[in-house]
Amino acid sequence: MKITQHASANTLTLTLDGELDASSSVLLDAELAKPETLKFEKVLIDCQRLNYISSAGLGVFISHLQQFQDAGVKLVFFNMQDKVHNVFEILGLDALMTIVPSEAEATAF
Amino acid sequence: MSFRHRLKAILFPLSLLSWVLLLLSTLSNTQGNAAGWLGGPWPTWVTLLAQALFAASVFVYQRGRTEPLIGNDFVGMMRRLVLGPGMLATACVGLHLIERVLQYELPTNDRTLFAVIYTINLGLFVVFLANTNYSWRSLVLFRASSRIQREWVWFEVLLGSTLLFRLLDWVPPHPIDYIIMGSLGTFGVYLSGNQQWVAYLSRRQKWEAVLLQIAILLSMAVFVSYFLRIEHDPKLVAPAPQHAFLLLTVFFGAFYAFMGLMVTLFNLPTAGVFEQKREEILSLQRLTQLIQRGQSENEVYGMLFDSAVQTVDADAAWIMLENEAGVREGQSYQVSPEQSAAVRNLLQEHNLHHIEYLNNDLKASSGFRELNLPYGSLIVMPLRSAKRRYGALYMLKQARQGFDRENLSILQTFASQTVLSIENLNLMNVSLENQRVQEELKIASIVQDSLIPKNLPIDSWFDISSYAASAKEVGGDFYDFLHLPGRRLAILIGDVSGKGVTAAFHVAQMKGIFHALMQENPLAKSERDKFPVPSRFMSQANHALARCLEKSAFITASLYIIDYENGGFVFARAGHCHTLYYHSIKEEVSYFQTAGLGLGIIRNESYEKHIKNQFYDYNPGDVMVIYTDGIVEARNAAQQEYGEERLHQMLERTYYLDADEIKQQILEDLGQFSHGQPMHDDQTLLVVKFKSAQPGLNN
Repeated sequence: MKITQHASANTLTLTLDGELDASSSVLLDAELAKPETLKFEKVLIDCQRLNYISSAGLGVFISHLQQFQDAGVKLVFFNMQDKVHNVFEILGLDALMTIVPSEAEATAF
Repeated sequence: MSFRHRLKAILFPLSLLSWVLLLLSTLSNTQGNAAGWLGGPWPTWVTLLAQALFAASVFVYQRGRTEPLIGNDFVGMMRRLVLGPGMLATACVGLHLIERVLQYELPTNDRTLFAVIYTINLGLFVVFLANTNYSWRSLVLFRASSRIQREWVWFEVLLGSTLLFRLLDWVPPHPIDYIIMGSLGTFGVYLSGNQQWVAYLSRRQKWEAVLLQIAILLSMAVFVSYFLRIEHDPKLVAPAPQHAFLLLTVFFGAFYAFMGLMVTLFNLPTAGVFEQKREEILSLQRLTQLIQRGQSENEVYGMLFDSAVQTVDADAAWIMLENEAGVREGQSYQVSPEQSAAVRNLLQEHNLHHIEYLNNDLKASSGFRELNLPYGSLIVMPLRSAKRRYGALYMLKQARQGFDRENLSILQTFASQTVLSIENLNLMNVSLENQRVQEELKIASIVQDSLIPKNLPIDSWFDISSYAASAKEVGGDFYDFLHLPGRRLAILIGDVSGKGVTAAFHVAQMKGIFHALMQENPLAKSERDKFPVPSRFMSQANHALARCLEKSAFITASLYIIDYENGGFVFARAGHCHTLYYHSIKEEVSYFQTAGLGLGIIRNESYEKHIKNQFYDYNPGDVMVIYTDGIVEARNAAQQEYGEERLHQMLERTYYLDADEIKQQILEDLGQFSHGQPMHDDQTLLVVKFKSAQPGLNN
């Protein structure tokens, strides 16, 4: 798992590359738990190269969801592969989180 | 009986008989009543022959006796030697004195008494010499090579024959006799050089050996002086060669005792060093043995401390022990906690308390002088491995230059041995702890297994088959059944996120929640409200879990309530895998596509909005396949997932079979797909087949 981040004025974009399993989700959790993350208006997650997400990986997003909502930070996923999207959907997360097809839509959101 | 045994049996009577003959022969030569009674003076050769026989039989008899040396107990052997022959010497002196007193009190010309006592003393002396000789022999032959042993036998034979010839009054002409005696003496010196036994004595034992050897020499001197004294006594009737024999034998006996004494004496100054080295080796051995016995840490430190203090002969010492909890003083020796703390503080000031440090002139250090302690030398030996520090050993001596390089190196060896054994102990404890955890996991696994329903519900309306497997000892998957009144059956399936013991706890919790919530509510207004509908159950479960589930954890679950009286079921899916279904009317396999959020994701009342009930009227022949993600996410060698599609196809191929057969076919296909791959997640699979047979209504 490789996590790269790109910050612009009010948007933080995290690019996930690889498999988000129990061990790599710790890295992601560390990124999202940084206090400065909550200072952005939007946090965009680029899932183009996210091949797999385990329940631990989902747990990371779930555990930060409430915080983001409370701080008024929008969490937007984009470029999600079908099988990963299926996992979000089965769990019912697609109703809670914003998942859009492309980066343009994510930026516009 | 062999010749040896027979010889042995006659030796003792022979020695007694020959001695009696010697006595009689001596008496016959005295001009007294006895001589007359014995028929006048017997020829000298009888006396000499009797004596030769006597000496030979006593020596051979002594030689055949059991080895006087028991193990390494040299001092014990010498003590017995002094006690036995010492008593003989005392008896000799005593008899001589009695004879003198009698002679003084009752002066007489009769030499009978004198001759008797002389003969008794002669007998005692020969026994003494034989005894001493063979005790020396066992010392010379201690750990000796077989060559030395053979040489000793030759020495005995040569010496014996020489002495006996001397007794028979045959003296080889000059200078052959000198050559023979000289070479025998040289041979004796050479053999006496074998004093290996001295090395095995401790310092104290060496002193004891010296004293005992002196005592033996003294008792020998008593005899010698007796014989020298009466040599010129006019009353003596014994022939001269008899005397020469005795003196020559004495020479050899005394010679070895003297050599032994010298060797022991010269060894005395080095005995301390020798003993210290020995003690060091023994201490090392003791320490090493402790490792194998695997005793407690404290015992190992205690052993190190005792061995170190003893080995370097410290005047004061203490040991500091370090662990996660901090530093504390362990054992101490002749030092008060205040004194040791003062020394430590001083070293700490100079940052010397964690390194190997030797100071042989403490008085030269002003800091130490101020402490006003009576010590001149100090060693600090840290106990550490590459990974961590275990503490340090402090040793003090009053003398300056009290420690040497050897002390330092032996302490280094002690320290590394100790650290090694402590680390071994720790490793062993860790492995024991692991073993214990494994045992407990095994128990947890058994407990969890007992939570899985063993008896599947049986009814003529349907047919159920189940499969469950955990990837680890304990799993996060669960399923359960509950019969409800009114011919209804509740089926719960679910999966706790994460694995291991935490997940297993939540599994147990879900089971408790299931049984608690599926209770009849007596206050319910209508029959329908007596048991919660699945969506209501999920909201209540979500509420119950909200407080105890950790933040990043969630649970997926599906609850089905089948009403087989009315031929329908209702279910709610809380983020769990979709239900695969075969519709017999439409002859079609499909997934129920319903929305529903996992438990624990939203932990407030708004959860209700995210969970829906789905109703369905089933038909005979319909098949419901319920499973957890461990089934569809199982991977093959190419890291592809088994997937919902493949499961879908499997049901299309097998829907007409029994529930159990459908399950078997799916598992077989799954097994082939993921062959050789490790199981990543728990797997649960339930197959429910609705049947047409309903005996109650068929009539």
